[in-house]
Amino acid sequence: MKTIISFISAFFIFIVSANAQVSKINLQASGLTCSMCSNAINKSLKTLSFIDNIKSNIKESEFEIQIKPNSKVDFSAVKKKVEDAGFFVAKMEAIVDLQNVNIENDAHIDFQGDVLHFMNVKPRLLNGLTQIRFLDKGYVSAKEYKKNSTMTSMNCFRSGKTILCCEGKHQKAGQTLYHVTL
Amino acid sequence: MRKLIFLFALSALVQNLHAQELFTYTEPASNMASRSMGFRMTSTLMTERPTAVVNTHFNPEIMVGISKRWMFHLDAFISNRAGEWEAEGGSIYIKRRFYSIDDVHSHFRMAAIGRFSFNNSDIHQEAVDLNGHNSGLELGLIATQLLHKVALSGTISYIQGTENVGEKFYTKDVKLNRRALGFTFSTGKLFLPKSYQDYNQLNVNGMVEWIGQTNLNSGNTFLDVSPVLQFIIKSRMRLDLGYRIPVSNRLSRTAPGGGLIRFEYNIFNAF
Repeated sequence: MKTIISFISAFFIFIVSANAQVSKINLQASGLTCSMCSNAINKSLKTLSFIDNIKSNIKESEFEIQIKPNSKVDFSAVKKKVEDAGFFVAKMEAIVDLQNVNIENDAHIDFQGDVLHFMNVKPRLLNGLTQIRFLDKGYVSAKEYKKNSTMTSMNCFRSGKTILCCEGKHQKAGQTLYHVTL
Repeated sequence: MRKLIFLFALSALVQNLHAQELFTYTEPASNMASRSMGFRMTSTLMTERPTAVVNTHFNPEIMVGISKRWMFHLDAFISNRAGEWEAEGGSIYIKRRFYSIDDVHSHFRMAAIGRFSFNNSDIHQEAVDLNGHNSGLELGLIATQLLHKVALSGTISYIQGTENVGEKFYTKDVKLNRRALGFTFSTGKLFLPKSYQDYNQLNVNGMVEWIGQTNLNSGNTFLDVSPVLQFIIKSRMRLDLGYRIPVSNRLSRTAPGGGLIRFEYNIFNAF
């Protein structure tokens, strides 16, 4: 049984590594100016198992987060850790390795078991390291979230839920959905 | 009056650079990180009037961040005010952050606080001091504005003194005058480092804090100002040096002025 499980997990890891790797997350936190506050975020983020190391820019409240190879990244956990430290995410970008993925405006792709909804993009083929920027509430400032909501007419952006407008196609109800742009 | 203007001008000057809100005599509306713990030892040396005897108070304190919104402090009061060392009581302080608008390098936050203190010392002054002198309850609101270069924080609270454990030495006036309005206003500035490089740099902050109270029965008020010099070591330890200066002392206190020294150690992800 153990062999089967390890075989399956190895196979899963292989799929993950072949299809969609996250190499780095760049985030800027809001609401702080002091080094002790910045350290609280730094220490909070370090408890996430998929994080390899963090470079902090205290002055700009920026964190360059290296992701461990072959790990599944929970972007919402990153946001939660910043909020647990008492602050908010003002900007979050991820460097992802996509292999021959076609994207369109207001359309989805599968990503590490989650779904990415692309906004404000032209149809194109993505191959290689790509920077995506998160647009959802809690991943940008309140002001920017308002601005971002004019980019799409789809309900999922306002409701924050995956199933209302995005069911069907190849996505399953209940999958975590992130709205992103290039 | 001239002293008052000078001290207000000093507060205004302090607002002019990078701001810090890790205040010494008051709490900001921000909370400590979720699942972090802080340990403090505060010592105050207060000069009694008119005898000029210096009373020493020790105040060990444990701080716990329960979640991003809730935190509490537990502390104990030990002093030699009555002639020998005595454990006089303790308090629990609870804070809930309920409002937050954050932007990069700025925020406006509000929090509600509650404090319950018990004390077994003799009541000897009209001011209701839940920090080591009186049993009682305090309920209040804190608002903190951090702008890139300015941090302002104010507290307003209702304080209800109750009988101290053992009901010792009440004078008639003190017994009648146990409801008070507390108010504070704090501002702080980062002096060093000039530019942040890493978490091991020594930070030096300067602060000016105003602390006042109006007794709601007698109408008497006191107002103190406290300059503070603060050192933050390795982004996890704090050494605070403060001095409390009475500016107006209509509301009677037996030892209103004096120095403070505090050491604080923080553990992130403690549980």
